Amino acid sequence: MYWKYVIRRIVSVFFTYVIIIFIYSALFNTVMEKTIRAQIGEQVKQEMMVQSHIMSAAELKRYQEERLAFHYKRYHLDEPFLSRVFWRAISTLKFDFGNSTIIRSAAGERKVLTIVGEKIPRTILLFTLATAIDIIIGVLLGMKKAQKPGKFLDQSTSIMTMVVYGMPTWWVAMILIMLFVYKIAIFPSGGLHSVPPPQGFAYVLDLLYHLALPLLTLVLIGFWGRAYLTRNIVLSTLQEDYIMAARARGLSERQVLYGHTLRSAAPPIATMSILSLLFSVGGGLIFEGIFSWPGMGNLYWVAIQQNDIPVLMGNLAVTTLFYLSGLVLLDLIYGVLDPRIKVGGKA
Amino acid sequence: MKLKDLRETLRDFWGEFRKVRYGMVGLVMFGLFLLIVILEPVLIPFPETGRRWRDITYWEDNPKNAAPVWVNWFTRKDYTPQAVLDKPEISERKAANTQMVEAVFTYNYKYDLPPIDLLLRATGKGLLNLAVHLERPDGLSIELTKKSIRLSGEAPVRLSLDKEASGAVGDFLKTYEDPDVLRGVSIFTVKPVEVFFARAEPGILRNPVPLKGEYRIKLTCVAVGSGAFLKEPALTVAGRVFGLMGTDASKRDIWSGVIAGTKWALLIGLLTSAVAVIIGVFYGVTSAYFGGAVDLVMMRIYEVFQSIPLLPVMIVVSAVFKPSIWTMILMMCAFFWVGSVRTVRSMGLQIKEEIYVEAAHALGASRGRIIFKHMLPQVIPYAFASMALQVPVSIVYEASVSLLGLGDATIVTWGQILHDAMQGGAVLQGIWWWIIPPGLFIALMGMTFAFVGFAMDTILNPKLRTR
Repeated sequence: MYWKYVIRRIVSVFFTYVIIIFIYSALFNTVMEKTIRAQIGEQVKQEMMVQSHIMSAAELKRYQEERLAFHYKRYHLDEPFLSRVFWRAISTLKFDFGNSTIIRSAAGERKVLTIVGEKIPRTILLFTLATAIDIIIGVLLGMKKAQKPGKFLDQSTSIMTMVVYGMPTWWVAMILIMLFVYKIAIFPSGGLHSVPPPQGFAYVLDLLYHLALPLLTLVLIGFWGRAYLTRNIVLSTLQEDYIMAARARGLSERQVLYGHTLRSAAPPIATMSILSLLFSVGGGLIFEGIFSWPGMGNLYWVAIQQNDIPVLMGNLAVTTLFYLSGLVLLDLIYGVLDPRIKVGGKA
Repeated sequence: MKLKDLRETLRDFWGEFRKVRYGMVGLVMFGLFLLIVILEPVLIPFPETGRRWRDITYWEDNPKNAAPVWVNWFTRKDYTPQAVLDKPEISERKAANTQMVEAVFTYNYKYDLPPIDLLLRATGKGLLNLAVHLERPDGLSIELTKKSIRLSGEAPVRLSLDKEASGAVGDFLKTYEDPDVLRGVSIFTVKPVEVFFARAEPGILRNPVPLKGEYRIKLTCVAVGSGAFLKEPALTVAGRVFGLMGTDASKRDIWSGVIAGTKWALLIGLLTSAVAVIIGVFYGVTSAYFGGAVDLVMMRIYEVFQSIPLLPVMIVVSAVFKPSIWTMILMMCAFFWVGSVRTVRSMGLQIKEEIYVEAAHALGASRGRIIFKHMLPQVIPYAFASMALQVPVSIVYEASVSLLGLGDATIVTWGQILHDAMQGGAVLQGIWWWIIPPGLFIALMGMTFAFVGFAMDTILNPKLRTR
């Protein structure tokens, strides 16, 4: 039963992905084609340079036209608009994002997929780690808040939640960098590791050292909201009858809270955690740029500055795929945590 | 009828809302922001900030990267603040073909670190023979510069004494500074204005002691030719500290920029969230009411929209199409409506099953009547709460896109100021007055609406109310 549910979700999300890619293709087709035409033009010019001493001018001109037509046909650029959009979407779905115009991967390659691919693990490292710490602190604080609602701890932390609600994380990052990197040099100014990178275990330490400030910033702003939501979820669960029954049986408050309440509050807490992880990846685009953390977010900054359209498009498609995978993951976890979903009952 | 229902719902809601203290704090802050928008012309010293934010000539008299004036309260040595002297004592004499103007500016210098420049501005025409003298409190009088300018029509005159007085400063130093020191110094590296505000004694170059007191700057002008004149002379003392929030690397007044950005932030936040939530509420209620196939299709569309990561899409769209602020608002509306759909739909599903809706049905009420009269009014408090909570999100989104340098270049927003700060190396150089104010305003605005929204939220979810 569960697997049926899983497959249904995956298929449905896959179709959503296809639809979104088609929308992107329609939106950005014109600018992508401009870049590709320029790239083809350059390539043909280089080919002509090689041929220039064995061909006459007329031959060269014909050769150029032939080559251009060949490449246009290869990229379906000679077809009507709708069919061009279709082919653009198909190649995007096949992860064929073409070549970058300026940006190169660490190994010097120009394939967009390679460039984006090498950024993915870094983004995942930063944001999953931050979210994991966030969840631990947030959920624990939220439970504490729910135990004594309206008391000092609850009220003060709730106010803090509201204070940081509209605070851009990247602005806090700017201030912390100014303070702890340039005024008081505790942390490195950014990047993934020192240059040159140390070897072996020292590399891990170095990585953690570079990870520290971005992580700290994310956690510092992140856990308040989570604590508040956890508090609300736990608080409404605490008013259920079975909690009263558990208390009446003489169970300790600890057992009631961590045994009974947390179990049934887990699905919504998981939802909001993963959703906020997904949203934080969105917000992380900006955040990574501030720390020059070379992940997918930073790639947007670089691609915009260099006006590298293929990289921008490839990055967007991969980001979207990630986002959707997160949504699927969410459903799967939900299915595990909430047995009603597995058997197809109504949640 | 419909209006009366709505008013009743709102009145009940307001009665509850008044009891939540932080909600009221939020409302007061909101009022303050509105006040800032209304009083903007009074609050900012540069009235054309909004239009000429990127026009460097508008800001050229200001110092670069100057800290706010109030840093003087915390530093041991006082920095000279910016000052504009536009009411000199003017004496005029006219002869047949010449006009002679003498303007004397009195400047009371009482700081430890001298101004960086003295800027003379006036409007003139014809051949102007200008001379500028400085009379110091210790009785010394220095001729700073002598210059002839020919203007064919009426045109502005601008003299930077820091540049013009490089000859005068050489003579002045030769008289008072130790020749051994002077030999090791290139005269081109000397800042004339800094020298003239120090005690005339050996060491004036290396360890200047400020000479405090009343300085008199005398501008003499002989305008030759028929119709030649010089009028409206003014002197700007370009300081080291400036205004309430200092200046940035392009000499712009950050206070003016931040205040001028307030109206845009409010507009972006309120307009986007209002439109988005209204769409979302209608969508949710309609979907719930019709159910069946309509619901299924509408939920499918909703899911597609919900699955698009908005910020990356917005960034890429902005990078490719360079949209105006209105397009950006439209784009945010097109995606933010999904935020309220799910909750509204589940509320709608519940309301639909109520007996009174069934009764209205039985009485032959139309679909529109049931949706508008029986379903929507009940959802309105929730709509207000999600509107309030949506406002900061919209503002932060716009700021994020602007931070990447993709904002609308015809206006000034907080995100754009922060973008310039990033570009200008404010983080690296520790120019905190460039980074903190715009971000703080974003945070305060977010806080305002969070207070209001969270307060509404607690009213709407009685389960969460604390005993």
